[in-house]
Amino acid sequence: MARTIIQMSDIIKRYYIGMPNELQILNGISIEIHEGEFVAIVGASGSGKSTLMNIIGALDKPTEGSYFLNGTDINQLSDKELSKIRNKEIGFVFQTFNLILRTTALKNVELPMLYAGVSRKERAKRAMQLLEMVEMKDRATHKPNELSGGQKQRVAIARAMANNPSIILADEPTGALDSKTGRLVMDIFHKLHKQEGKTIVLITHSPELAEETERIITISDGSVISDVSKKENTVISLSKIGEEADVQ
Amino acid sequence: MNMFENLRMAFSSIAANKLRSLLTMLGIIIGISAVITITTLGTTLRATIKNTLNSLGSNLMVVYIQQKNVDNYYDTVDVEITDNDLISVEMVDEFLEKYPDEFQMANENPFKSATIVNSRNTTVKMNLVGGYEGTLAFNSYKLLSGRNISTSDIKGKKHTCVVSDIFVEQYFKEKEEPLGYALNVTLDDGMVQEFTIVGVYKYNSLNNGMGDRSKMSTPVYIPDTVVNNLKGIYTEQGYYNVYFAYNTKYDANDMKAHLTDFFEEKYKPNKNFGTEVVSMEDQLKTIDMVINIVTLVITVIAAISLIVGGVGVMNIMLVSVTERTREIGIRKALGAKKSLIKKQFVMEAVIICLIGGVIGIVIGILNGELAGLIADHFVASSPEYAEILGEITVVPSLSAIAVSIIFSTLTGVFFGIYPAGKAAKMNPIDALRYD
Repeated sequence: MARTIIQMSDIIKRYYIGMPNELQILNGISIEIHEGEFVAIVGASGSGKSTLMNIIGALDKPTEGSYFLNGTDINQLSDKELSKIRNKEIGFVFQTFNLILRTTALKNVELPMLYAGVSRKERAKRAMQLLEMVEMKDRATHKPNELSGGQKQRVAIARAMANNPSIILADEPTGALDSKTGRLVMDIFHKLHKQEGKTIVLITHSPELAEETERIITISDGSVISDVSKKENTVISLSKIGEEADVQ
Repeated sequence: MNMFENLRMAFSSIAANKLRSLLTMLGIIIGISAVITITTLGTTLRATIKNTLNSLGSNLMVVYIQQKNVDNYYDTVDVEITDNDLISVEMVDEFLEKYPDEFQMANENPFKSATIVNSRNTTVKMNLVGGYEGTLAFNSYKLLSGRNISTSDIKGKKHTCVVSDIFVEQYFKEKEEPLGYALNVTLDDGMVQEFTIVGVYKYNSLNNGMGDRSKMSTPVYIPDTVVNNLKGIYTEQGYYNVYFAYNTKYDANDMKAHLTDFFEEKYKPNKNFGTEVVSMEDQLKTIDMVINIVTLVITVIAAISLIVGGVGVMNIMLVSVTERTREIGIRKALGAKKSLIKKQFVMEAVIICLIGGVIGIVIGILNGELAGLIADHFVASSPEYAEILGEITVVPSLSAIAVSIIFSTLTGVFFGIYPAGKAAKMNPIDALRYD
């Protein structure tokens, strides 16, 4: 059994919008994700999957429950330590790319390394290698506005890989792309998973994309309603759940 | 991430909004350039006045009589000065005997206008002035040839005189030797007196104005005792005030102390009157003080414009923080600490202010140079000033430049810290979602 990267138990997240109106988004979620897994978290909008992603990505803390990331208790960390976790342990890939617009692709990829204190020379070298991996080396000096959506997302994936994180956390990475470029981006994730053995958590509302992964965790109304691992051959009809989710 | 990386980052975001950054700097530029302009003018004015006064004879001191015990102005009754209260000739003689090398008497006593007809039958006008050894120095006239009026001339009431170079041009033919020549001068009351030329001085026009060189009337110095004789005063009178030129190889403060001590001692028995000594150096100090006050006042006004500029910087930084909310979110998600975000924005504000400060300093120095050029032009067009002022050298105030740099940095820190704090405190989730 591979090492546990994410261990969440009974995660509850509430928002307080004035005293009487507390809003519970997550109702006790328990998930374990192991090293090298390619997991899809599926759910309709409003299901709580984005909140879950924020907690997994150490951008937010749960109201209750415990979360260990690579053996570290996230709940106990200060803001400074959380920054470090985000920097070293997590590689974010966003639906809207979130590249810094006024600087080049290369500088964008260098940014997490800059925060990690990697030397300038080293940064440039590694950023180039990463851009090469996503086949964007020839666009290294282009600014994000000079790139297509698919190209931007490839740069963003290269950036996510910069500090060689424990997990890649991809939030609807193909959501803003057409099917062709979306395919290309998904291929990169598969490549990272197979060749580099990366742990990848893909958050999506699309059952088709989820089908490509090894394990599908379905969230609805803040609870896990199914957790299916293909390796263990316990496949449930995902498309059906997906349809239900869409209806909701 | 080190300082250098931070700097590069700040520069890149300033460069991304060039026009806005420049407009933001404007307040700082105006404030700093005003301060530098004023301080440059101040230091230049001070240097010029100092030079001018030095060339006018900063080695002058005056002793004058003053009523004693006037501390309480309302209870003091003015006492009439009698001849006995004046500074007597004996006192002055005793003083000069005590300090023969240090002091010369420099009183000046304008007497009468007079004329003389030269060999070309032209009437040359002059002003007869009673003088002493130090009188030429008092007027900052330089002796060209011969000697000053001497003590023996004064004691012996000799009919000697010292004339100007202009008089020499007017009266004598070229290459004629004026020294030793006896002038038969007709006074304005028709009396004719003979004076032997013992010295020639170079006339400078600042004190008297400049006219046609061939028609000007210049001072001819004769011993003051001779003036008294000609006025029909045969008993030696005292002086209300006595000017002394001191030898500049001695220290000014020592010289002032000599004068003060000597005359204080002399006036101890006098119930009503004492003496006061004022030196040219004292006058310089007063002028210095005035310049300093003016500089300070204008600097304070300029500092207000700096504060206004600083508020402008803060305003733009707040806009910039809001505008870059998403970028801040991205940076936080990628692992930037709060302190780092804060540093980044403070650094940006500081650099905006510093660049503004440097531009302001450059503009201020250029303003000073421009004022110098205008002043030079003005001086050049009036030769009577040019002679005494010489070339005006613009002196930027180094201390003001240093203070400006420090101050603009502080302005950046002060007005940058709040927007930076706002950026640092942003919640990354909200920031990432911001459009």
